[in-house]
Amino acid sequence: MNVRNIVLDKYSAKVYKNRKEHIIEVNEETRQQPIAANTRSVPGIMTNRGCCYAGCKGVVLGPLKDVLVLTHGPIGCGFYSWGTRRNKAKPEDGRNFIEYCFSTDLQESDIVFGGEKKLRQAIKEAVEIFNPKCIMICSTCPVGLIGDDIHAVASDTEREYGISCMAFSCEGYKGVSQSGGHHIANNTLIRKVIGTGDAEPTKRFTINMLGEYNIGGDGWEVERLLKRIGYEIITVFTGDGSYETMKNAHMANLNIVQCHRSINYIAEMMKTKYGVDWIKVNFIGLEAIIQSLRDMATYFGDNELTERTEAVILDELANIAEEKEYYYSKLKGKTAALYVGGSRSHHYQNLLADFGVKTVLAGYEFAHRDDYEGREVIPTIKEDADSKNIEHLEVKKDERKFHAYLTEEQYEELKTKIPLEQYCGMIRTMEDNSVVVDDLNHFETEEFIKLLKPDMFFSGIKDKYVLQKSGVYSKQLHSYDYSGPYAGFLGAINFARDLTMGLYTPAWGLVIPPWKNKSTLKAKLAGGEK
Amino acid sequence: MSKNLVNLCVNPCKMCMPMGIVSAFYGLKNCMTILHGSQGCSTYIRRHMATHYNEPVDIASSSLTENGTVFGGENNLIKGLENMIELYNPEVIGIATTCLAETIGEDVPRIINNFNIIHPGNKVKFIPVVSMGYSETQYEGFFMALRAIVENVDMVPEKNNKVNIITGMISPADTRYLKRLLDSMKVEYILLPDISENLDGQHKESYNRLPEGGTSLEELSLMGGAKLTIELTTFTKEHNSPAQYLYAAYGVPFVRCSLPVGLRDTDALISVLEHAGGTKPEEIMKERGRYMDAMIDSHKYNAEGRAVIFGEPDFVYSAVRLCAENGIMPVITATGAKCGNLKERLEEEVQGVADFLHIDKFLILEACDFDTIEKYAVEYGANIMIGSSDGRRIEEKLRLPLVRCAFPIHDQVGGQRVRMLGYDGSLELLDRITNSLLIRKEHSFRGEMHDRYYKEEAGDTSVDLDKISSLKEVAGLRNKADIILANKKKTETHPCFNGCGSEYARMHLPIAPKCNIQCNYCVRKYDCPNESRPGVTTEVLSPEQACEKYKRVKEGLPNLKVVGIAGPGDSLADFESTRKTLSLIKREDPEVTFCLSTNGLLLPLYADELAELGVSHVTVTMNAVNTTIGAKIYKHVDYMGHRYFGEVGAAILMANQLSGIKRSTSLGLICKVNIVMLKGINEYHIPVVVEKAKELGCEITNIMQLIPVAGSEFENIPLVSNREIMGMRKQCGSILKQMYHCRQCRADAIGTLDNDQSINFRGCTGCNDIEETDRAEEKTFLFAVSSKSGILVDQHFGHASDFYIYEYKNKVIRFKERRSVSKYCDGAEGCDGMGGMNKEGKMEAILETVKDCNGVLAMRIGEAPKQKLKEKAIETFTTYDRIENAVRVAAEKLCV
Repeated sequence: MNVRNIVLDKYSAKVYKNRKEHIIEVNEETRQQPIAANTRSVPGIMTNRGCCYAGCKGVVLGPLKDVLVLTHGPIGCGFYSWGTRRNKAKPEDGRNFIEYCFSTDLQESDIVFGGEKKLRQAIKEAVEIFNPKCIMICSTCPVGLIGDDIHAVASDTEREYGISCMAFSCEGYKGVSQSGGHHIANNTLIRKVIGTGDAEPTKRFTINMLGEYNIGGDGWEVERLLKRIGYEIITVFTGDGSYETMKNAHMANLNIVQCHRSINYIAEMMKTKYGVDWIKVNFIGLEAIIQSLRDMATYFGDNELTERTEAVILDELANIAEEKEYYYSKLKGKTAALYVGGSRSHHYQNLLADFGVKTVLAGYEFAHRDDYEGREVIPTIKEDADSKNIEHLEVKKDERKFHAYLTEEQYEELKTKIPLEQYCGMIRTMEDNSVVVDDLNHFETEEFIKLLKPDMFFSGIKDKYVLQKSGVYSKQLHSYDYSGPYAGFLGAINFARDLTMGLYTPAWGLVIPPWKNKSTLKAKLAGGEK
Repeated sequence: MSKNLVNLCVNPCKMCMPMGIVSAFYGLKNCMTILHGSQGCSTYIRRHMATHYNEPVDIASSSLTENGTVFGGENNLIKGLENMIELYNPEVIGIATTCLAETIGEDVPRIINNFNIIHPGNKVKFIPVVSMGYSETQYEGFFMALRAIVENVDMVPEKNNKVNIITGMISPADTRYLKRLLDSMKVEYILLPDISENLDGQHKESYNRLPEGGTSLEELSLMGGAKLTIELTTFTKEHNSPAQYLYAAYGVPFVRCSLPVGLRDTDALISVLEHAGGTKPEEIMKERGRYMDAMIDSHKYNAEGRAVIFGEPDFVYSAVRLCAENGIMPVITATGAKCGNLKERLEEEVQGVADFLHIDKFLILEACDFDTIEKYAVEYGANIMIGSSDGRRIEEKLRLPLVRCAFPIHDQVGGQRVRMLGYDGSLELLDRITNSLLIRKEHSFRGEMHDRYYKEEAGDTSVDLDKISSLKEVAGLRNKADIILANKKKTETHPCFNGCGSEYARMHLPIAPKCNIQCNYCVRKYDCPNESRPGVTTEVLSPEQACEKYKRVKEGLPNLKVVGIAGPGDSLADFESTRKTLSLIKREDPEVTFCLSTNGLLLPLYADELAELGVSHVTVTMNAVNTTIGAKIYKHVDYMGHRYFGEVGAAILMANQLSGIKRSTSLGLICKVNIVMLKGINEYHIPVVVEKAKELGCEITNIMQLIPVAGSEFENIPLVSNREIMGMRKQCGSILKQMYHCRQCRADAIGTLDNDQSINFRGCTGCNDIEETDRAEEKTFLFAVSSKSGILVDQHFGHASDFYIYEYKNKVIRFKERRSVSKYCDGAEGCDGMGGMNKEGKMEAILETVKDCNGVLAMRIGEAPKQKLKEKAIETFTTYDRIENAVRVAAEKLCV
């Protein structure tokens, strides 16, 4: 019996029926099968998923440094999303809104009589004290139910104060996870921000970085690399990003997409509206970085750029070669499990492979089928009641601002060489017998640890202590446990150093993993080798 | 004093009710909780608790979606309960609602009923709690859960010999301490809740996902028959109190104690326990003795403590009492909750400390956010914070040490092991507080001592330095340290640098009309006598005239110590005049202090020569150190025969300012940097400029208000309020000494800062007088004049305590009377130009005073009062002139 069935067997018939669609043991046959994803979590089983508000305010809008993001709702939502994602931002003019938490702190009487008045007053106060260029209003559960018209408030704000203001109806109950919130944020950014600026780029090869949230400084390391090669980065969605630069995003030649899940909508819509092509990249893991840099150079098709790209790759590799070898010797042969948001579980497999670590289990928290199986399946994804509730925005070509870098022939030709508008998904790249789990929960986590005995488990804070109590080295891939950056060449070494440090700490050698005395299989002590 | 913002919460000092509820349920054995609502609530709260306790935190969710909001969430909740039972096998499940469930009106007791109909054999105890995030805080939520527990558990009412102990949110380590205390006193007790194991677990051979520690249902059932309930909370309301319920339902008598923190409240609890049959063991008395010993050991250091204490009401109360009994002054006590009588309960306590330390103000704030706390922390001179890690942003920004001892602690480990209960917990917390004060002292006292004592001493012992006439001579004889010393000595008599040297006079010589940059806030029109601001003068003097004027003024003002060149253009743009003037005057009076202000563009060129000429003080106006921002402030820069615009111009200017200042300070010149605060342009950049100034060796920075000038680029940009200016100065004060007393003097100002006498010396070198015109027709006007001296229009409108009323009739000006009003503005808070709400009344009073006048004359006036007067058809005239002159000019204008 395979591990998948062992775990599923513990469920009641009803839950079994639901969960079996979400778990795959990878082999030739199952690679072709669909996986259930982006469907409702089963109540009561400790999902790790968050809500729509978390995806919109917490993930996409939160990192913007020059935007005053105002949570319209009770205090909790604003408080819990206050500076918890370790996005880093360096403000140009000395002020940084991501350090702040702004909330209308709704009270019972506001729920009864409506919160619009309070919202208007709060905006007035915000303008008077903070004088922001842009305010984004995010609504929480009760706001949608009591019917506050936050969009009307936003347009009144624009009129009254002459600043930019937009509203996001990202009530927590919308959709089935954070994912709905990403989509809502994407829609409004394309509608109200992108394309409103007109700053001309100064360099020849211009790009936007999409889906890079600059956790632990990842974005900065990638930026360093790209600038070294000679790219101009118009804007970043949205790590260390700003309203001011996002306005000019349509001026770029190419969009490079890092986190496919949270930002692919913008990539798609910008292609239709402004003709900006996009490719999927990955700056986590050495092989992946090199491939991504080469894809970018191929896209621009410039000899000098290609040469510089190769020169930089060689130099960066030479710079880390010695350390890489050392960490490889320490990590080779270990096994890992990954359960992170919507892209990292895929990206980090590359990085782990660089150091000889094998991935035995991987899962996404809030991904859709295309993140698992590749974008080809998008037309076959059935809409359900929940996904219908999230607006699908149709954009039209903007005749005035439309500019395509490639001719149609060039485009068709390049499509065969680089991942233009393509993403192959995670499952295809995984080895036989590894396990893929969508929306992994607390119970399954424990069961899989016992069965697969990974040396390390990459997840978030909610699993971290369960894992550690179970004797498994855990690394938070949402916040990096106060470390980072892990992206880029230098980041790869940081990552390997952290893993080595964690696995070989004397503490692990002194505590005994629970299965040590029970399992009939020969168990390995994580990091406990003499 | 500004009020808390009521509509915008900036950096909350509270959490929502469900957070408190799930925390309380963690004190029950084999218990789990489910939040009925969106899954985000569970996820956020799990994240928050796990980070604090460093333990797995499992809170289920009914995962309501949009569907559920329409058709109700019953199915989801029932499914959720079924799955929890199947997977975890708990004995108790706490079911708390959320904003969502409450807004759509979910009836949880009915759903539980339906569950039991579907599952007749159900043995799990369900405890529902009504909880919504938009009502109260986690503090109330915690007790609501406890109340729901005692209401729902099936009680055994037969009397037993146990004592119920009910606690608020205390750490697992403190819970363990409390249990040890009760055991050692041989009290039989039931503890609700007991989070000691569940939220601070061990590393064991096998991990069990169901919380195994905590108080069991069986124990809880005995609470109804207990002989006494002791409830450890100060502010919990009656309807949330478990003790009240047990008393009302089962007749269990109860006593309420504050948390046993500090000597007095621990004594109180122990005495209650003794009455309940406990014995006082010797070990406890030793602990008490040790705490007292520690109090004495550290009392000297504690008296310097000025604490900001924030958090839940009970925590805040206990921390304040601990501080108070140790002589640490809680200057700000703040809670995000609203509990009604916090102020009442604490005022006497805090007042006591304030009295013996001679502190005249402190604040107790309810329903308050961190933005408010931060603002007052500066104003009230706090030097330590006590609370949760949410204060870390203030800690970083204001460099105030933060003693983390309350939930949540997210940036350090060990939140679950924080101690403050009992004698030894109090001792532990006290030690942490005292040590934080000591660390701060250790890092700062040398600098402070030096600034306070050494400087003056240096003046006393180096009398010979007074005789030094020229720095050039000094440079030959002494080292750089001596030059600096000499210049510092001069600082003591320089009214702009010494802070408040009101007894010393200075004069500005308007000799340099040219300017080499164009600032967007300036119009180069130096002949306007009706304004009082930098760069404005009535006459421009030649070097010879300037020297003559100096001699005349020196005769009239023997306390004249400083000669400044402040334009009206840039003093270095026309260096020939400046050089000549300085040489002439120095020949006349070798002991005079020379001070010079410049935009810094040519400072690197002339710094050496300035030092040779004996200039000791240089002020550079530097509004930015970032070219993007600079480009917004400077229109163009003329340098070496070319005109540069935008960022290029700004870059040249800044590079020269920086190298010029560096050169000057390394030559021993005392440098000050002036920064004009421009709303929306450099207001958030100022601390960076101040940092830079410090790095370059400047002594002081002067952050100034923009005075909008008609016709300038910035004519219409919003004004910065006095409060914002003061706030910025205070903020930057932690970086570098700030000038709080700037009067933004004219380029020809003479006298002390508070008493400008340039009018008496005006025109003395033969420049034009104001021409009289005969345009005034036969009309009668009444003017209200804001004047300090009664001779000149020399006072800010907002500073006037009374008005001089002048009548203008047939070109004759007559003084009518003097009318008193209570002051409209009050110094520190200043006239913020916004006409703040609380000033409405005073404004009315002023309007009443001047309502029959046609015009108001003042040296300056805020925008809001100006508007108010305008509404009443009263014209405002801002000028600096003899009253009669000013009234005439005003009347003429009214006639036109």
